[in-house]
Amino acid sequence: MEESLSVQSELMKSFSGVVGNIRVPRPRRIFAQVPYDRFAEVFENIVERMGFSILCAITALDGGAFIEIIYHLARPSGVVLNLSTSVPKDRPVVKTISGRFPAADLYEREMVDLMGVQVEGLPPGNRYPLPDDWPAGQYPLRKDWKRPETATPDKANQEQRHV
Amino acid sequence: MDAQFVYQNLYDLFYMLVFPGLLFLIAFALFAEYVDRKLHARLQHRVGPPWFQPLADVIKLAAKEEMTPRLADRRMFLMAPLVALAATATAFLYIPTWKSDIRYHFEGDLILVLYMLTVPTVTFFLGGWYSRSVYSMIGAARAVMQLFAYEVPLFLCILGPALLANTWSISKMAAFYQVHPAFAALNILGLGVCLVALLGKLERVPFDIPEAETEIVAGSFTEYSGRLLAMLRLTIDLETIVGAALIAAVFLPFGLGLPAAAGFAVYLVKLLAVVCVLTVMRSIMARLRIDQMINLCWKVAAPLGVAQVLIDLVAKGYLPRGYLQ
Amino acid sequence: MFEGESVQVPVGPQHPALKEPTSFMLTLQGEKILQIAVRLGYNHRGIEKACEERTYVQGIYLIERICGICSHSHATCFVQAVEEIVGIQAPPRAQYIRTIVAELERIHSHLLWLGVAGHEVGFDTLLMYSWRDREIVMDLLALLTGNRVNYGINTFGGVRRDISPEQKADIFTRLNALEERTKYYVSVATQETTLINRLRNVGVLSPADAVRMGAVGPTARASSVDRDIRRDDPYLAYGEIPFKVITADCNDVYGRTLVRVGELMESYKMIRHALEHLPDGPIAVKAPRKVPAGEALGRYEAPRGEDVHYVRGNGTEKPDRVKVRAPTLANVQAVAKMLEDRYLADLPIVVAAIDPCFSCTDRLTEVRRADGPSSVLHWEQLRQYGIEWHRRHGIDFSKLNNSFRCPEDH
Repeated sequence: MEESLSVQSELMKSFSGVVGNIRVPRPRRIFAQVPYDRFAEVFENIVERMGFSILCAITALDGGAFIEIIYHLARPSGVVLNLSTSVPKDRPVVKTISGRFPAADLYEREMVDLMGVQVEGLPPGNRYPLPDDWPAGQYPLRKDWKRPETATPDKANQEQRHV
Repeated sequence: MDAQFVYQNLYDLFYMLVFPGLLFLIAFALFAEYVDRKLHARLQHRVGPPWFQPLADVIKLAAKEEMTPRLADRRMFLMAPLVALAATATAFLYIPTWKSDIRYHFEGDLILVLYMLTVPTVTFFLGGWYSRSVYSMIGAARAVMQLFAYEVPLFLCILGPALLANTWSISKMAAFYQVHPAFAALNILGLGVCLVALLGKLERVPFDIPEAETEIVAGSFTEYSGRLLAMLRLTIDLETIVGAALIAAVFLPFGLGLPAAAGFAVYLVKLLAVVCVLTVMRSIMARLRIDQMINLCWKVAAPLGVAQVLIDLVAKGYLPRGYLQ
Repeated sequence: MFEGESVQVPVGPQHPALKEPTSFMLTLQGEKILQIAVRLGYNHRGIEKACEERTYVQGIYLIERICGICSHSHATCFVQAVEEIVGIQAPPRAQYIRTIVAELERIHSHLLWLGVAGHEVGFDTLLMYSWRDREIVMDLLALLTGNRVNYGINTFGGVRRDISPEQKADIFTRLNALEERTKYYVSVATQETTLINRLRNVGVLSPADAVRMGAVGPTARASSVDRDIRRDDPYLAYGEIPFKVITADCNDVYGRTLVRVGELMESYKMIRHALEHLPDGPIAVKAPRKVPAGEALGRYEAPRGEDVHYVRGNGTEKPDRVKVRAPTLANVQAVAKMLEDRYLADLPIVVAAIDPCFSCTDRLTEVRRADGPSSVLHWEQLRQYGIEWHRRHGIDFSKLNNSFRCPEDH
């Protein structure tokens, strides 16, 4: 618990007014928020200076008017900092972190396909995880997403049987 | 035409097609496949198939639809299994069975048999290559690379005993070692190398590189189906028996002088023993990579083959003059 | 062969080396791999979205079905995150039971891996042996939970089944048998020449690369990266059970084998310790149906590596967002690195060595396009084709048809 609290106080000290809503709900878990225009600087600091060198995951959430992106960063000691940031839903653009964390490539592609976040700087590669013929502009994890009208295989099957 | 001539021809036909020719060979090969599969299964703590499973597999495949890839060269694709089967069955006719004086033999049939045993691998290459599937083509290329690796030790190890027996005929070699069984002991090294080379020829673990399932699906055989695949599988079964018979004739000259029934029994036991050794080897090893296989053949097996030839040459030099009579 | 020119070889989406659909497009020069392009997503089932449409309790059973092998890992990770949001804690006995099932799951997963690894290098005897022994632990899991896979032991606030004294005795006996067998596998892995030849110096991942690529689990530990969530971020009863984190400095597939076999031996000890120190008391506390607004991140050392679940509640019976990061997603990037300048023959074992689980990784399509290419044969067409083909060859199956029903009719 001490380690988490010291991280909390360090965050408060270094980034007062930038990193907000710092909470430590239980040992080894820290939640914090940062506006996206200051994100790169804070992220760099946390990763390189404060030792959160493991990227556990990236979560994107639909927050109505904005899309919230949480970077789950961990120290080898087990402390996890969940750094949350938001981008407007009508222009959800973030910069890639796959330069620092190669594994983030797939996590970011997942955001691109499922939440419609545009990630700048992603290296060329296959999409993930949706099929290549997935209709453009359909982001299944957004709350306002409706399933497109499609024929089920059953129907197709029956039609072909009549031929 | 006199009766003698007709009888001779009928007997030739019977000899080639029924016993101990094609039909017997196929029946025995299927049985040997059963022994192989059953033993393999028991070594792996499995139950294994019933005795008729190999035959049932052939019948099932023969009843299935045949498909030829659109890009394949149809003639080569169809020819490959036929030629492979014919070559293997022909080779068998020149190998002594339970007696050394068999119907077909000539001075030099050893070369013919070794050549006929190389034909299937070459046809597998052609069939795979002209399937025009990437897996088949890689498998075909591997089959030929592997051929160059195991063929030299195999030839060397058979050359040694042939030099000692002073003949190029397998039947005469068998007859020689039948008279001088003690000399067979000199060829133990060659026996071991030959078994390893045979594993390579039959494309079995650890040398099943040309058809490595988890890498290239089924190698040369990937695009084959139906009767053609049945023929290919049968060819490999026949090759096992022909290879085992060759090894038995050259290295295991026991029971050749026995009366027909007992001699036949000893013959079957010898061949099945070779099959079982091959089975045990494939059960206890992992598949090697092609580079490791080639290294093994050139750096270990081939020098051992040379050693075998040297042993036989030295032995020949020290033996009394009249021993060949 | 093909000297000078390169050839593209597809491994997947369907290929004998892969137990699940995924795709590796290889560019080969001879036997050498020049380039490798990975395409994931063939197992995308929309589970994250489906979780948002279901209650938390339904969510447990759905999440348990992310993967058939590490089902308990996913379920426990999810349940822990939700319990954290609700603010309840499972009683100690429940924590221990979860831990015991978790370690049994690790045993069955590692034994399964050992067999698959054997199969990938053409050593089928190892596959048959280890999968046969795996039946012992499968039976144990069935005995404790009622199921061989998807155990359904977890619920919010505890577990659904207790361990009786008879079961306890039974576990001890069977663990002894498993331990004997595992010692045998240690000797196989360290002595069988052909096997070692296929594993040593294959799929090399340097410690620096392992850290940089974010590798997790045995893949990382075999490259001397001493990380294990069970020790670093203890959950369940791991804080109270002594165990060693197994690492190896071989950096190759051989090391990954040693780490997994070593972890098997540790797991036996851990289960024995947990059973001997199994606390008394209830196995569950009551949990509310509605989960308050809040968020939690669960981390869990699954057999394949770190599993991460992020859950956000919004005060209703259904979660606002469930995010799953399965271990394979973290490790798959390293595969391309491991295969640099290696041979085609190494691909199956190198891919297998991260113990990939693509169904875990892909999770999430319910949209099927009906306007596919006309060459697609539907089930009924395929059946008709078969019947026609056999009729032309003098075999008539049509009389048998009455009893067959097309599986897509309902």
